[in-house]
Amino acid sequence: MKLAIVVQRYGADINGGAELHARYIAERLARHAQVEVMTTCARDYITWRNDLPPGLETVNGVAVRRFPVNRERNPDVFGRRSRRVFEHTHSMADELAWLASEGPTSPAMIRHLVRSSAEFDFVILFSYRYYHAWHVARRLSNKSVLVPTAERDPAIGLAIFGPALRTVRAIMYNSPEERGMIQAVSGNTDVPGVVVGVGSEVPARTDPARFRRKFGLRRPFAIYIGRIDENKGCGDLFAYFRRYAATFPRGLDLVLIGNAVMPVPDHPRIHHLGFVSDADKFDALAAADLLIMPSYYESLSMVALEAWALGRPVLANGRCDVLKGQCIRSGGGLYYERYEEFAETLYSLESNGPLHARLGRNGREYFMRQYAWPVIERKYLDMLQRLQRESKPRTARSAEPFPGWLSRRKRNLPPAREVVARIPSGPVLDLAETPRNRNRIA
Amino acid sequence: MSDFSVRSDSVDVEQIMRQIRARIREKRGVDYTEEEIRELANVKLEKFLDPKGVRSDLLEQYRRKRDESTGPRNYAFEDTTLYASSRPFLRFLRKLLNPILKLFFNPNPLIEALHIQSRLNDSYNQAESLYYELIHNLVLETTRLGIEVKNLRMRVESMSSRLDFDERRARALEGVVQYRPGAVAPLQPPTGGGTQSTDADQAERRSRRRRRRGRRRSGSGGAGEGRAPQGQGGSAAQPQPERASEDSDAGGDSGES
Repeated sequence: MKLAIVVQRYGADINGGAELHARYIAERLARHAQVEVMTTCARDYITWRNDLPPGLETVNGVAVRRFPVNRERNPDVFGRRSRRVFEHTHSMADELAWLASEGPTSPAMIRHLVRSSAEFDFVILFSYRYYHAWHVARRLSNKSVLVPTAERDPAIGLAIFGPALRTVRAIMYNSPEERGMIQAVSGNTDVPGVVVGVGSEVPARTDPARFRRKFGLRRPFAIYIGRIDENKGCGDLFAYFRRYAATFPRGLDLVLIGNAVMPVPDHPRIHHLGFVSDADKFDALAAADLLIMPSYYESLSMVALEAWALGRPVLANGRCDVLKGQCIRSGGGLYYERYEEFAETLYSLESNGPLHARLGRNGREYFMRQYAWPVIERKYLDMLQRLQRESKPRTARSAEPFPGWLSRRKRNLPPAREVVARIPSGPVLDLAETPRNRNRIA
Repeated sequence: MSDFSVRSDSVDVEQIMRQIRARIREKRGVDYTEEEIRELANVKLEKFLDPKGVRSDLLEQYRRKRDESTGPRNYAFEDTTLYASSRPFLRFLRKLLNPILKLFFNPNPLIEALHIQSRLNDSYNQAESLYYELIHNLVLETTRLGIEVKNLRMRVESMSSRLDFDERRARALEGVVQYRPGAVAPLQPPTGGGTQSTDADQAERRSRRRRRRGRRRSGSGGAGEGRAPQGQGGSAAQPQPERASEDSDAGGDSGES
């Protein structure tokens, strides 16, 4: 089997969520099939500037073909077009203009894929919202397997994505919540799909004492790992934690790992360590009492899975359906929606607290059951083999005509934010999956 | 904060969250949303509880403004007011024609009503400044009470967190400290004075007392004699609860990975 994996950025040092996801999947599938990654020369996800040379190279044993980006993203234009399509009644032409301004616009990559499509059995596309995914899904729908990495943000409410989500051969979802949201917005229930997610390269051994020595941390702490950004809920996290620290002088400290794009409060109990190596990250997780995930929008939190893999409970933002659903299904974490809940749950999850050990154990079991690499690989291979057995997709799905010139310019599409607001929300509670019911069944 | 009772390995996260929310409701009385609480807090702080917002010269300012204002205060209305005039001839003529006026309507109820109203206005004016003073004092008192409540709440929270910490520390120590029968002899409770002690015991005690006295006499001139060396005394043997709990935690971590 020969597979093409198409993603906006790719590299051993590129740690964006979807990009890392794509690299892990490419490296794992390369053990079972011939894999070639198609990507851009961009390294920066804001401008898509061509930082890397075009052409073929090998990254961790996987062939990677890079194509230049035609034009860098103009944040002003992108912002203006985003407001138009998210907030106002607009046309399909507006949405296409939004897609082009979001980028990364690399027509050379699309052309190459279309020309060489006969060489590949399937094309695995990452991140539905980007230029490459939409164009490839439209032109090579018969071979496209989409990993949407969709969050509950207004982009999913844009009308152009409906046909793309309905016509691909299969969809590999990250969570039941993502599947529910995509099916509700696009009506693609007949497209084969499976909730897969992604595993993680969790080391067999960690050394929490080394981490504490290295960074001079003596007190017990909760940890946040990721970009320190208002969009990731860090503003709320800081506000809540400062109140918590004032109320509980001997409670947990907060350790932050990741680059900051917002000011980190100067507080004696908040320790910002910046970007650290993977070894430090895993040792930090092992040294922490728990992981805090304050993000409102997540398609799948890899760092939460890593915390569970190391037996650490997770405290998640309850307004994020995916994280809340995962906490409930795994029995490996709690969630909060306001300060009082934050303080109470944080207290309950301290390592001396009553729940820490049990939730950590549940989390580890959940990770092993759902996100261990053999499980992930098996799900991908099963899906690809199933698609191979199916001779041709049904024509109804593959033939969804693109609107004409005039239709594309009719301003009759509702604001995307309104569309998303109408989609049912809330965690998907697969009752058979919760630890209590599993034990009962056993 | 009290602990949860988790009785089995199976943990129902939703149930725990329900318990947490119930506890928050218990503490707070009514389950307001974050926005509602913020709104209430803002209103209180702005309107009542901000001591800077209450002016100590409020009453004086009010009185001064009242004196400065040019509006009519009240009117006097007696039974002669209707016929009053600065010209005596006109006043006389009105009185003379009064019976003819009464043929058309009775002015007495009107005179009476306006008279009562004028007296009411007077009493209202007097009460107004009293009410104002009362409200002023109430606001000051509310402010003082609010600040006091706030302080007390902070103290309660602080004590509650200390209590929680102590409970946890005790729990951690119970897990860490192991009782070894041969290591330290357990303390014996007093057993009813010297009635059961033997003569040999009493003799031993007496000789110890004598030895101590002798040592005190001889040691009065020599500094440090008979004293435990620094750093080896009781302080080193004192339990250090925080370290103990940290050690136990670290041990758990390394064992896990």
